[in-house]
Amino acid sequence: MITAQLLCPKCQTPLPAISEPGRERHECIACGVISEIETFPAFFQQAAVGQAGERILIEGEAGCFYHSDKKATVHCSGCGRFLCALCDVELNGQHLCLGCLESNQRKGQLAELETRRTVYDSAALSLALWPILIWPFTLVTAPIAAFLAVLSWFRPNSLVRGGRLRSIVALVIATAQIAGWVVLFGSLFLKQQ
Amino acid sequence: MANRPQFYRRLPGTGKTIAHYVQLYQGPDHLLQVKLSGFTEEYKRFYYRDIQALVLRRTHTGKILNSILGGFAAIFGASAFIAAGSGGEFPLGFLAGICFLFLLVNLLLGPTGVCHLRTAVQTEKLVSLGRARRARKVIDRLRPLIVEAQRPLAAPAIAAVQSTPAVVQPDSLASL
Repeated sequence: MITAQLLCPKCQTPLPAISEPGRERHECIACGVISEIETFPAFFQQAAVGQAGERILIEGEAGCFYHSDKKATVHCSGCGRFLCALCDVELNGQHLCLGCLESNQRKGQLAELETRRTVYDSAALSLALWPILIWPFTLVTAPIAAFLAVLSWFRPNSLVRGGRLRSIVALVIATAQIAGWVVLFGSLFLKQQ
Repeated sequence: MANRPQFYRRLPGTGKTIAHYVQLYQGPDHLLQVKLSGFTEEYKRFYYRDIQALVLRRTHTGKILNSILGGFAAIFGASAFIAAGSGGEFPLGFLAGICFLFLLVNLLLGPTGVCHLRTAVQTEKLVSLGRARRARKVIDRLRPLIVEAQRPLAAPAIAAVQSTPAVVQPDSLASL
């Protein structure tokens, strides 16, 4: 039977071996902490060995673009270059070379590889709302908030929050603030006239 | 710019520190941990097929907090009682009430815990699951998704276990 072992999350002492997936409770013999452990089939699998790419044995066989001595097994879906098993990166059913992968990540074309996003709509909304507490600041912050709200339409929003409500609300508030300042300065100007 | 519609469902729990919030989202084939710091979101993905174990450990943080809050509530309450009639009972009573309210909230949230997610290459603390009850709820929601994603892994393992008795050693054949 396949068994695997976990370490105590507190003191890193090995816990009793687990033989099948499911929920178990274990008490650490060293620190006495009780852990509820939910294991899944992947826990009992041995790490898969990566492929190194086959060497070209017959002359004239298609070789990898990056490793000329390795046999090409697939072509890159992005640039069409021949790739060996070592260079092939499979993502969403697509085979990509490292160059295309990096360039797609840089351009933000692969949402699966994104690790960070700036949420312009939240920034716009905060900048439109908070300065109201010290209203003279809105003279400076309102145009910035309006700019960020417009910018957020052309930039990817949060990965987990959909919709454009924040941008719209920010734009409306910022526009109202700008309009307020225009009216104020206009009336002052007219008074002086 | 790619703004592909991704269907994420927010999971209970928010981890808070001074600098950021951490929340968990259930994706179609992965668990997404979002760290919100200022106006930047940082993402960490844990694919269901890679999750090996979820480990929940109870901590004493909640009990300690209860003791502290209970202590303060009692001190302020007693002080308010002693100061009755002098005018000081109102601010002291208010403070006792605040402490009692926090104590009540902490009691209602239940025991505290630390939840870790383990894959073949990492053990990640799930900061947003700071309460044992909430962590169990999230684990219950994730379990069917992980099991479903790992169904292809479970089948060969069972087959391997079942096929073990069928193996006959050449030595044992010779002895027949």
